[in-house]
Parts: sequence; structure tokens; C-alpha cells
Amino acid sequence: MQLVFKLIPQLIAWTVMVLLLLRGMPGRRGAVLISAVTGFSLGVAGYLLLSRLFPVTLPLGIIRSAVGGSFFLLWSVAVAALYRSTVRDFPLLRVERLVGTIYCAWGAPLLTGMVAGGIGASGLPRLDNSVLQLLAPLLLLLAGALLVLGARSAEQRLTSSLGVTPSAFLAALVALLLFSSSSSILLDLFAPLSMKVMKGTHDFVHQFMESILIPDHVFIRSAIWGYIGFLFGKEVGFWGGMVIWFTPALLIALAIRLEPLPSVAHIRQGAQRRRLLADAIRTKQYRLVIPALALVALAAAAYQSSFPNVEYWDPKPLAVTATPAGEIFIPRKGEVELEDGRLHKYLYKQGGKEVRFFVLLTPAGKLTVDLDACAICKPDGYGQSEGMVLCYYCKTLIPLDTVGKPGGCNPVPVPFTERGDGVHLDALTLVNSWSRTVQSTTSSKGGK
Amino acid sequence: MASTIIETAGLTRSYGDICALKPLELSVPEGEWLSVMGHSGSGKSTLLNLVGGLDRPTAGVLKVGGEDLLGRDEDGLARFRREFVGIIFQQHHLVPYLTALENVMLAQYFHSVPDEAEARFALERVGLGHRLKNRPGELSGGEQQRVCIARAIINSPKLLLGDEPTGNLDHKSTTMVLELLRELRAEERFTIIMVTHNQEVAAWGDRTIYLDDGVLVREERKTG
Repeated sequence: MQLVFKLIPQLIAWTVMVLLLLRGMPGRRGAVLISAVTGFSLGVAGYLLLSRLFPVTLPLGIIRSAVGGSFFLLWSVAVAALYRSTVRDFPLLRVERLVGTIYCAWGAPLLTGMVAGGIGASGLPRLDNSVLQLLAPLLLLLAGALLVLGARSAEQRLTSSLGVTPSAFLAALVALLLFSSSSSILLDLFAPLSMKVMKGTHDFVHQFMESILIPDHVFIRSAIWGYIGFLFGKEVGFWGGMVIWFTPALLIALAIRLEPLPSVAHIRQGAQRRRLLADAIRTKQYRLVIPALALVALAAAAYQSSFPNVEYWDPKPLAVTATPAGEIFIPRKGEVELEDGRLHKYLYKQGGKEVRFFVLLTPAGKLTVDLDACAICKPDGYGQSEGMVLCYYCKTLIPLDTVGKPGGCNPVPVPFTERGDGVHLDALTLVNSWSRTVQSTTSSKGGK
Repeated sequence: MASTIIETAGLTRSYGDICALKPLELSVPEGEWLSVMGHSGSGKSTLLNLVGGLDRPTAGVLKVGGEDLLGRDEDGLARFRREFVGIIFQQHHLVPYLTALENVMLAQYFHSVPDEAEARFALERVGLGHRLKNRPGELSGGEQQRVCIARAIINSPKLLLGDEPTGNLDHKSTTMVLELLRELRAEERFTIIMVTHNQEVAAWGDRTIYLDDGVLVREERKTG
């Protein structure tokens, strides 16, 4: 039942995608329907095959690249659409000219179906029961095919006035794909986009302002950095990401609004002239429905990305103490099994300071001890899910096999000694490492 | 020969047990001014409401502009009224807090989009170019009815229906309104169906039909 609920948004998005494809290519419904079902089936089958071939690290980059690439394409289409609305002779882009052709009628539903099917299959759980393991994808395929028929039926009931421009068609299709992909933290593009904006701002402010704008005086520097410190917050990344996320659909809506109305000055009869104008205005208003749909899908994607429906493994830190010699010892077997592949968090208190760190067995079979913080973000800590750990602050996903390596948003590694009975680490080194890290990331200068 | 704009066959309208219009056969050529006379309750307004798409017949055929109105749903009827018909009532039914110009533009708005210049011109045509900014309460009865005419013709209807449009007017204003309708009909070539109690007013039409208890009892054609 939980699976069904998890897949409902995906399946709704798939239905709307098919509906949009049908409306965008009204003369080629047969081709759209056949290729949509074929694409969805190939997507599900392809994902299952790849997950068998690469059980540890799924090659989801293909889907991510496809969706991300289409988003970049959308940007160029949006800019061109806006330019065209003000300059009448500007031609359609090649990708826009494709909309409605036989190539698009076969290709677009096939590719969309493959991506949607792949994303849907990625939401299927790994079940122990082999019958259920086989049944779940079959049910997904059946649902996908039935929804294609449902979309066809719904599309026929829509008013004929609901026209679709090529740019709006692409905007809504890409937005729905982004919404689908945002259901998985491995496929989500909004969180990485926000992170890139945040880190881009961070680097720009540091490198550009520090080297050029900020007077090199110890008192002036700290005062000025105090004021511009807000540029390092994750809010900058979030809102910057939102601007990049929504702008193409907004530009396309604006382009439709700016499209000139047809000239009716030559029509003598007033009522007929006004009727033609009213029809043209109504057509424009209907055309705005599809970019509005794109905006809703993008907003839903951003929401899904910001509040992912994923349960992270995030155990309550166990309190540890140091020996009189200043050594912290964590047994290999005891209250927790250190080598079960899960994140195990600990809390060490010394002189009013609280240090959080974790121990993890990486997929390579090596134990690693790291601070529950990275060198650049505020120390909100990490959670573990789907072969990754996630930085709660900036939503960066870090593959498990890179945990233990320093740099970027990786957890800061802590030196330790591994012996037969467990891991040993120096309390002073741990506290100093935590202090350095936290001090640099929570001050206005160093923290994001 | 002018084509037929209205054609009825066995047109009937009943309200429960009361039959307001008994099977009626009527044909109106395009461009005709048809006067409809009869006592109160004879079925005049019922006929006008049916022809104007304001009501649906109980039985029979009603073709307006070659199309059977019975085949239209509510939206279709609204579209028909909006684009095909102009109506002038005895009570002016102008919006009291809008000016004469705004009242005409309101009709444009419900039809398509407002066009102030065109509305202004329509009011000038009915001789109210100097009363554009006056509200209905500031106009005489004749002037109010002329605003109604401007409102009724602004969307270039093919059919203009009048339900006692001069019933509340004095003789001078009545003549002015009827002359205006005659001029506009000559220019716009619409068909007029006008219900009236007044024989003098009916005489302005090309033809007069008489209804009695829902039955067409007599017909007079203007000679000369």
C-alpha cells in the first residue's frame, strides 16, 4: 500500500505527460499512444536490467543527464520564445519546429516514456519475496499502459480552445519530468542546483570580493564580512535555485502574453472586429494554461526536493568518554555493530564542548571515522539513505565509497587507529578538529 | 426575394396546464418589420421570448437564421442571443450606476470586448452624443429608450426584438424612437419583431399579426 502511495505522484505526472503529448500533436494520436506505452515499458525494463547489472551503484546518471539536458534546452527555447514575441520575424528553433512532426510524435513519447518508466521503476522497493519482486514491475507496467488510455480519454474531453504552443509544450513536458525525477534523492535536480548556486555564491564572494573589493585591514575586513555574511546562507542557494528553476516557464508565459494580437483594423463591422479580437485574446489566455501547468509542476518538484519523502538513517548519537590517557575507544561489537554498513553516531563532551562524529564501514570494507560536519557547511550533520550520505544543510549527496576522503561537502575525516577489538581515536585531536571546523563554518566569514 | 430568417412549424409553449402559444406556423423574411398585436395573455411576449432564445418551446420547430434553436444547449442559446439578437424592453433595464456610454460598452463586453469609440459612435447615431456621461436617472424616458436602442444594435444583430419599446413614452418620443428604428433598419438591414398594444405603433411595420389566446388569428400586410 505504501508503494502505491509513493508511486501515485509519478503516475499522475505520467498521465499528464501523455495528455500533453496528445494535445501537442493532435493529428498523430496513434503514434503518440503506441510510442508512449513502448517507451514506458522500455524504461521500466531498462531500469530493472541496469539495477541487476549494477546492483551497488546504479547508473542513474543517464536519467539525470537526460532530464538536466532537457532543462538547459528549455532555457534556450524560453529565451528564443521571448525574443520572438517582440521580433516577429525570428524563426522557431529547430527543437520547436520538431513539435507536431512525425519524428516528434514517435520520438518524444518514447523518450518521455523511457524516462518516466525508469523513474517509476526506481521507486519500486527491493522485496525479499521473489513473486512480489516480479509482480511489482508488472503492475507498474499495467498501470502505465492503463493511464495512457485514461489520458487519451481525458484529452478528448478537454476544450478545443486549449491550444499548445511549441515552447509551452516543451516547458510543461520538461517540468513534469523534473517533478518525476525530484521524487528520488538520487535523481533530484533542484537540490543540486540550489547547492551549486550556494557554492557558486560562496566562491564568488570569497574569491572576488576578498581579492578585489575588501580593503586589506584587519578591522575593516571583519566588519565588512559581517555585513555580507548573509550571502553565504543556504537561503541564497534556495532562492537563487528557484529563480533559475522557474524562469524558463515564466519567460514562456511572458512571451505568450507579449505576442501581438492580429490586426483587425481592415474589418469594417465593429461587432465582427471585436469578436475576432476577443477570440484572439481568449486563445492567448488558453495558451497560458500550459505554462501555468509547467509552473505548478516545477513548484511541486521544488517542494518534493525540499521535503523529500525519504527516511534517513540517523541514529541518536551515543555518548562516549575518553580514558585518562585521552583515548576514545569504540568497540567493533557491542551496543552497536560497527561493521553493518550503517552510520553510527557518537557524542563526546569535553569542557562544555560537544563533538559529534560517526563511524561507518564503506562499501570497500574499510572503517572510517568522520566528524558529523563538513568543512564548508554549518554543522547540521548527515543522514544515510540509498547508498549515500546526505548533508542536511546543503542537501549534497555523498556516495558511501567517498566517505572518509576529505574535501567539498564530505564529512571531515578524523585520524584513528583500527585494532582487532575496535577503533581508537585521540580525544584532543577530535575536539580540535571539531573546533576548527565548526568555528570556520559558523562564523559569518566561513559559514555558508 | 429575401430569404427567411424565422420559420416556425407547430410552435407550442405550455406552462403546466396553460397553453400560452398554440401550434403556430409563422414565416418572417429577412429585413421585415413585423408587428405583433394582441390582448394581454395572448402569447405575444411568449412568442418573442421563444424567437429570442430566452425560452424553449414545448413542441414544434423553430428555425432562426436557418438553424433549429431546439438543437442548441444553454451555452449555444446564450451565444445565439449574444451574437444574433438585440432586445429592447418596455422597461429600459439600464444599469443605473453606469453612464449611457458604459451601458452600451457593457453589451460589447458581454459580446466580445469593449470598444469605447464604437460605443460613442453608436450613441451619436441615436442622437445622444451630448449625453454620453449621463446616468439613466439623468435621462428622459425617450433618451433612455434610445440608449437601449444603441445597446441593442451595438453588436450588429440580425434580429431586433422589441417588447412594447414605446409603451412608456409620450407621442413625440414614440415617434422619435420609431423613426430612429426605421433609419437604423435601412442602414443595418436587420429584421424587427415588435410586440405592441398600440395600433399606431404597429402600423410602422411591414406586416402585423394578431394573436388571441395563443393562436394567430389574423394578419395584415401594409399596402403601398
